[in-house]
Amino acid sequence: MRYLKLPHEKRREFLIELKGYGILYAPVSISEKNFDYKKVDDVDTIRFDYNRTVLPPRKYFFPPNETLFKFDKKDCRLIDAYEDPGTFVIFGMHPCDIIGLRVLDSRFIDDQPDTYYKRRREKGIIIGIDCLPDEYCFCNIRDADFADRGFDLFLHELDDGYLIRVGSVMGHKIVDACDHLFEAIKAEDISVMTRKEREKQAMFQHYENWDNLRYLLELQDSHPLWERESEKCISCGNCTLTCPTCRCYDVQDVPELDGNGGKRIRFWDSCQYREHGLVAGGHNFRDTKLDRFKNRYQCKNAYCETMTISYCVGCGRCTQFCPTGINYRKNLMEIRGDE
Amino acid sequence: MVETCSVCETRKPVVGVYALTSCYGCQLMIATVEKILQISEAVTFKSFHMLTSASSHGKVDIAFVEGSVSTEKDLIELKQIREDATVLVAIGACSIHGGVQSWDQGLRDYPEMYEKVYGNGEIAYEGLAAKPIDHYVKVDHYLPGCPPDEREIVYFLSTFLFGTYPERKERPVCHECRLAGNPCILIEKGEMCLGSVTTSGCNALCIGFGIPCIGCRGPTPYDTASFDALAKEFKRLGKTREEVLDRLSIFGSHDRRMRQMVEKAYGGEK
Amino acid sequence: MMQSRNIYDTHVCRVLRVYPLTDTEKLFLFRFEDPSIGMNWRFKPGTFVELSQPGVGEVPISICSSSMRIGFFELCIRNAGRVTQKIHSLKPGDTVGIRGPYGNGFPMEKFEGRDLLLVAAGLGMAPLRSVFLYALDNRWQFGNITIINAAKTGPELLFMHELDAMRDIAEAENITILQTTTRDERWGGLKGRAATHLDKVNVDPNNTAVALCGPPHMYKSMFEELMRRGFDPRRIFVTVERRMKCGVGKCGHCNIGTAANWMYVCKDGPVFDYYDMISTPGLI
Repeated sequence: MRYLKLPHEKRREFLIELKGYGILYAPVSISEKNFDYKKVDDVDTIRFDYNRTVLPPRKYFFPPNETLFKFDKKDCRLIDAYEDPGTFVIFGMHPCDIIGLRVLDSRFIDDQPDTYYKRRREKGIIIGIDCLPDEYCFCNIRDADFADRGFDLFLHELDDGYLIRVGSVMGHKIVDACDHLFEAIKAEDISVMTRKEREKQAMFQHYENWDNLRYLLELQDSHPLWERESEKCISCGNCTLTCPTCRCYDVQDVPELDGNGGKRIRFWDSCQYREHGLVAGGHNFRDTKLDRFKNRYQCKNAYCETMTISYCVGCGRCTQFCPTGINYRKNLMEIRGDE
Repeated sequence: MVETCSVCETRKPVVGVYALTSCYGCQLMIATVEKILQISEAVTFKSFHMLTSASSHGKVDIAFVEGSVSTEKDLIELKQIREDATVLVAIGACSIHGGVQSWDQGLRDYPEMYEKVYGNGEIAYEGLAAKPIDHYVKVDHYLPGCPPDEREIVYFLSTFLFGTYPERKERPVCHECRLAGNPCILIEKGEMCLGSVTTSGCNALCIGFGIPCIGCRGPTPYDTASFDALAKEFKRLGKTREEVLDRLSIFGSHDRRMRQMVEKAYGGEK
Repeated sequence: MMQSRNIYDTHVCRVLRVYPLTDTEKLFLFRFEDPSIGMNWRFKPGTFVELSQPGVGEVPISICSSSMRIGFFELCIRNAGRVTQKIHSLKPGDTVGIRGPYGNGFPMEKFEGRDLLLVAAGLGMAPLRSVFLYALDNRWQFGNITIINAAKTGPELLFMHELDAMRDIAEAENITILQTTTRDERWGGLKGRAATHLDKVNVDPNNTAVALCGPPHMYKSMFEELMRRGFDPRRIFVTVERRMKCGVGKCGHCNIGTAANWMYVCKDGPVFDYYDMISTPGLI
């Protein structure tokens, strides 16, 4: 791997350089307490200190609403309606989100590629940045606190700049094109990085090994927690919509007014809604809120074989963005008998 | 389910737009959608007072009915519309959920309210407590909103013109609110937002402007609204039982589970 | 850059024949418009296709014809929703979109050399007809065959007339056909649930592959009856129904199981073996 140092005073110039590759998306403040990825015109609005964005960056690869096809009534043929976003740059992705995207890749690319997702994925330049955990984070338990792949460049903050890891050919091209901004890594930079890494590790609240969780979730199917916690649930779907690895979608055909053509669209769905398990004829395989509540815990903790981690990356969104304060991590720990 | 496709494939569908007790806002919305000229080309309006003075009663393929049944006259008219229509679409909050005129549903006696408003004055038709139209007749499709969203009006008409029918939305407003990129104002500001129990389709317009959802599109259908869990959260935020009931009653007073579930959350406390 | 085929794109197929089976089910015969696709399109019994009517939507439908017939396939479709209602209005000559086949299908290769017991209830006859016709087309590879077809009433028995018409050759071919109804006073044939007729089957429990398809509540009692009669659980297979929207393990609607064994019916199924069935919560 190639390592470089970006001094703090060159950061602004580097960000402007990135804008040259396409639309720049980065975390910005959207309200008093919340952040989200937005298109950035003024690089000074980028928040380096954000905790987590409301929506995960998957929205750029798997848009919340997207037209799959257009069609003409006369011959039943579908015309691919993929809209090329052009090359774009996502700046500031935390390790959990980078790993979350790779978890999505395992479903959307590794097996029978979803051509819409795959084409966008090839257009996205990913610049990661290291972060410090808050009370919702448990990426360390999920083995998603350090991204060793899945980015073009990754920034670790030092006292006077950033240590950059170059993770792809595109990453090399980017730094080559503005090599005057960078310095060579010195021994003290490495010791600052390792010190910060130790400090970060010390900030997590829990360090258990959750390898047995999958089986405990199955064994604890009658645990009183399920009734108690699902009663708090308002079925808003926030937990799934803000999840970096949720990928359920629904498809709908929208005809044109002229009665001759139309489009086939897809949009994010959520297993927390009644329709999710409903089949024609009216039978519902997840008929109650309790069924749907459990479903998410089972799905998120299933094993993603290509990443050798669970589908949950421990980003903490489903807990922070639950309107009724259902604490996902605490619930899992209760299932494990930790709390 | 009555099919319209045989109709649509042979001739223009005949459409009626009717109003019972309402503000006529739904009609206005239909009349002012951007594609109204294209719609007028695609269908024949048998009745649409806001658009044509040549409106008359009679057989239609699709009837859009706005407004609640609030008088005997409304009821007679509604029954006639149902008889004349192949497909009946309830449109708007009044028609589907009784509207704001149902706010006090179940709390006060109708004669008592009548007297308060009209004293011993006389009106042409006997009044009735405002009710959603599916209380009286079979409704084939529901197009919620106060008023409905333009995209949905066009979607409904398009599906009929295509020889099929619209899919009912039952996702909550929260769904579209997250997709729209808004932060949750219930979490962040403790606002009494009803998004989680309200049918989506508005793209969370109000919340986008920082205004909490008051539920104008009505409770999510098929008994999926978790009024109890939401009320519990409001209670935790210090809202009183009356405040919560008031808010939920604006557009949800006819939901048979609503009051009971709020009471459950407040555990009988006053 | 070379892109792989869009997995959600469909092949245009033409309706060749529409045959009413019951009040709510029709049998459709389709042919691929493009011969180069039709001649190379293969499926296994027990797999399904996504049937698309642009402007209305897509639905998963199991294939009910023999996989030996190339370029054509049949679907038995119940009028149960928006899309199927539209499909029911189609006439010969109309077109639809098809993608697939999807799912694992029945492991027919494991069935070879054995007797076959097929038990269908209601719409379950559709996928099992594919197994049955495949077995007839490859008659020499299988031992005795028994098929039990159950429905509430006679007019609701799918493929009743087709199976009836086979009675003439059934004996000579060592095939037993049992058609039974549960709630039909006027039905002159067998009565009662499928499980009550297991004593009439003409197969050797020690060497029989069993394929089941019916409503979820049928499986538990069938399993008990089959175990009691000594059928080998390793050779009992069931095909199940879920909301398979994408067919390729992505959209998430057909997910089943638990964190320890998370599956998608459209990819890991729809055919499951006995042990999957009893150990996967939510599958029965």
